[in-house]
Amino acid sequence: MKNVMSNKFVIALYTLPALLLILLLIYVPITLSGYYGLMDWDGIGEMKFIGLENYVTLIQDKMFWTSTWHSFLLAIFSTASLLLYLAISLVLASKIKGSDLLRKIYLIPMLLSSVAIAQLWMKIFDPTNGMANKLLEMFGVENTPIWLADPAIALYAIFIPVIWQYAGFYILIYYAALKNVPDEVIEAAKIDGASPLQIAFKIKLPLISGVFKVTIMLAVVGSLKYFDLIYVMTGGGPNGASEVMASYMYKEAFKLNNFGYGSAIGFGLLVICLVMTWITSKLTKSKDDVQY
Amino acid sequence: MKKKAFSTVMSMALAGSLVLAGCSSSDTSGDSGESSSGDKTVVKMMHLWPEGSSNAQYTIVDDIINAYEKENPDVDIQTEILGNEQYKEKIKVLSASNELPDVGITWAAGYMKPFVEGNMFASLDDIVQEDKFVAGTLDAFSVEESTYALPLELNITPVYYNKEIFEKYNLEAPETYDEFLNVVKTLSDNGVTPITLGNKDRWTGSMWYMYLADRIGGPEVLNKAINRTGSFEDPALVQAAEEIEKLVDMGAFVKGFNGLSNDEAKGYFMNEQAAMYLMATWELPNYTTTPDVAQEFKDKVGYFKFPTYEGGKGDIDSYVGGPGVGLFVSEQSKVQDEAKDFVSYLVEEWGKRSVVDAGVIPATVVDTSNGELDQMYVDILNDLGKATNLTLYADVQMSAGVADVHLNQIQSLFGGQSTPKEFAKTQEEALAAEE
Amino acid sequence: MSEISTQPTTTTLPASEKPKKSYLNKIGFGFLYLILGLFAIIQIYPLVWLVFFSLKTNQEVFGMSPFSLPQDPQWGNYTKAWTSGNIGLYFFNSVWITVLSVTLTIILASFVTFAVTRMHWKLSGLVLGLFLVAYMIPLHSTLIPLFNMYNNVNLIDNPVSIVLSYTAFNLPLTIMILLGFYKTFPREIEEAAVMDGCSVHRIFFQITLPMTVPVLSTTAIINMIYNWNEFVFVNTFISSDQWKTLTVGINNFVGQYLTDWGAIGATLVISIVPILIAFLFLSDKIVEGMAAGSVKG
Repeated sequence: MKNVMSNKFVIALYTLPALLLILLLIYVPITLSGYYGLMDWDGIGEMKFIGLENYVTLIQDKMFWTSTWHSFLLAIFSTASLLLYLAISLVLASKIKGSDLLRKIYLIPMLLSSVAIAQLWMKIFDPTNGMANKLLEMFGVENTPIWLADPAIALYAIFIPVIWQYAGFYILIYYAALKNVPDEVIEAAKIDGASPLQIAFKIKLPLISGVFKVTIMLAVVGSLKYFDLIYVMTGGGPNGASEVMASYMYKEAFKLNNFGYGSAIGFGLLVICLVMTWITSKLTKSKDDVQY
Repeated sequence: MKKKAFSTVMSMALAGSLVLAGCSSSDTSGDSGESSSGDKTVVKMMHLWPEGSSNAQYTIVDDIINAYEKENPDVDIQTEILGNEQYKEKIKVLSASNELPDVGITWAAGYMKPFVEGNMFASLDDIVQEDKFVAGTLDAFSVEESTYALPLELNITPVYYNKEIFEKYNLEAPETYDEFLNVVKTLSDNGVTPITLGNKDRWTGSMWYMYLADRIGGPEVLNKAINRTGSFEDPALVQAAEEIEKLVDMGAFVKGFNGLSNDEAKGYFMNEQAAMYLMATWELPNYTTTPDVAQEFKDKVGYFKFPTYEGGKGDIDSYVGGPGVGLFVSEQSKVQDEAKDFVSYLVEEWGKRSVVDAGVIPATVVDTSNGELDQMYVDILNDLGKATNLTLYADVQMSAGVADVHLNQIQSLFGGQSTPKEFAKTQEEALAAEE
Repeated sequence: MSEISTQPTTTTLPASEKPKKSYLNKIGFGFLYLILGLFAIIQIYPLVWLVFFSLKTNQEVFGMSPFSLPQDPQWGNYTKAWTSGNIGLYFFNSVWITVLSVTLTIILASFVTFAVTRMHWKLSGLVLGLFLVAYMIPLHSTLIPLFNMYNNVNLIDNPVSIVLSYTAFNLPLTIMILLGFYKTFPREIEEAAVMDGCSVHRIFFQITLPMTVPVLSTTAIINMIYNWNEFVFVNTFISSDQWKTLTVGINNFVGQYLTDWGAIGATLVISIVPILIAFLFLSDKIVEGMAAGSVKG
């Protein structure tokens, strides 16, 4: 048996195409990007080699660390939201009436492009005509917040659409994972007299723990490198109040003609992701992993 | 069960064949700009007027291209059209790879400078006819006495206002700043948003600041600070910032302006929820010719020039504004001569049609005796003719890095996070650091 | 499993407690449905809003409450969306590029995940790590290097560059999701098959792959949505009209100073219809897969 499952040729056959693709299309570019980080380059004219200067500046750059902190906050909130999505999926995966229809509805926002989502939430957050403030006014709040314009709350305000955007994504994954739990096991537990809550906590959750850990990783890394809605809705503003690493990188590289420095930021982002992933995997380690 | 393997193989084969099909057809799509496909010289042009959103400009360019191709049957002009932001992003990528199109759109001064310094734009001195352009418009596209792009647009910024709202509160278009403050106060006291402003984009607030700087300190004070013959901490510039602070504290601007994009802010004016809107003349179609806007609203819109300041040095005919986009020819272009010839032709023909057909004021001198123009255009063009000065937008004058500091400071000033003194000091430091 | 008591709990309750229990149950359920229903409204609202949005004039789009109905439904926005530019062509491109990329991604990812989790080799951890790290790379960092690379092999303005890019960038995510699922499948079946003398290929295609249909549908949906709505790569690598996709078509309505939001809305609605249909189709597969993929030998 060992021989069959260690057949080098088959392993190579199965993994090389994919490996080749990412080496060529992801690793080569990121290496080049790291190389650009060693240059003083505006993206247009000549490049000038300046060694690690960009990276030194990066470490001392207050804005970089602020944006890193913001990305980090997003990662925390995203991970926390996973629990909510898990709960919803548990309900959907149980055989309550209407779960099928609900499941389909819950996933609909996932299909929307960032353009649509950005437009929608900007309208909701409009200080005068937007739904958010209109609702608050209905409850008697007088000085309704200005949401995306207020430096103190812009960051948290923008987190809402970002996290909401991925509801469908995680619910979908958890739902599929839960559906994967063999019916026989659940039936057996029911016969033994376990309540739905017990079944959920003691059977279903442990069996999907592998998937759950993966989603934690996805949430953390995805949040750290998140770009879309933040750039479109606040542009990182007002004055950097909602800047994250990816938007900061984009601005420096593409808008401010600091392509060398922007590349360095991108590389910094990668390093931070690596560190966070390592920390996260250490935190979520359990004896199950030993098997593989 | 063999079916599964079979279908997998089939889909891979399908994928493979599509890939090959894609490969082969790309060879015939002729994407190398320098080769002549057949007998024709190909000139590649990129612009930012998509058929859907900028139909008027698109049509003009399209017609001009067709006319040019008729007169020059050996030339084939291929266009790639993108929306504004996407255009900017793509140009960045292309310039980083030295793959700029033969002819393209560029903005003036600070935006253009790196391209010139990087040898990406060809000098257009051999085709420019200076007397055809409105005075000063070419300067913004020149570096060290050479012209690197030909401007297509010229914009000034009046304050548009809703005449009906003004009448309701017995207000008239102000001519002095004190009258203006009175207007703001009256409207605000009556629960009407005096001014709509989309300062998330930042350059919108910058225009307000620039006008105050001009009216208080005269047209040169800001330019001098930027070109380093003066300082940003000049008292006039600080005072202008103080006036902005006062305006904000008076509640002159729409709620949450620092989080609204220009588009969103515009909506307030268009929906009559705000009385005034400071914006460039590219808005004119909305108040004159666009079929999408109700005539009823259009009739209510008028404009006034930014008021003069008591004891200040700026006069009422000095405007914030300047050339908009221009056309460049790539220095790396293999068909430079043909490209330049085309650009020359385009600018001239564009000038003849842009006002009437697209509502765009060109940078070339326009003949208003035509009679086909909407009254507001005639008024604007007449005012333009009497202009004593055009101050180019600060963030366009400055280099990208300094412009970013300026724009962020504008947002901070308006948002109350920077005091006028800090506002001036931060920018002075940024400008000094660049020298 | 051993934590569940094997002793049967009492099944008969004193008569007085029974109705109360079911009453509480009903309230509990009612409350649950209330929450679920509220969430459903929150989730379906964007679609409704989008349709309204597409029927408004530019003036109505701003300044009016997002709840408001369009005063005069601008069906013209839809005709505009269909006729300006080559929406039909963009649509077709979006479809085949998405289908091709998604298929490629799923196939390659399945191969890799199978090899990494089921086969025994020393470098499996490293290879997995490579895919994991690839996920952490921000897209914009790669834009200019990729453009240069494609340019050098004349693949600019060729949809192959798009398909390859999508596949490459989606592989890490897909593999990670597949990984989570593969870990929950017991190895005994495959080990039994090996004992029976099956070749690796047979095991993969006839045993493992069918078991993974639900998760394959899941990743198919995820990849499909990502590719369909993707914009940056298409904008950068494609210049001629014949290869553009729907997302770029939306751009057609973004002007220099003026944006035609109604038409953009119409384009967005048009573009959401196919993936909505595909999504409804695929999401059923997730449930169907369960019935087919029997774990028992």
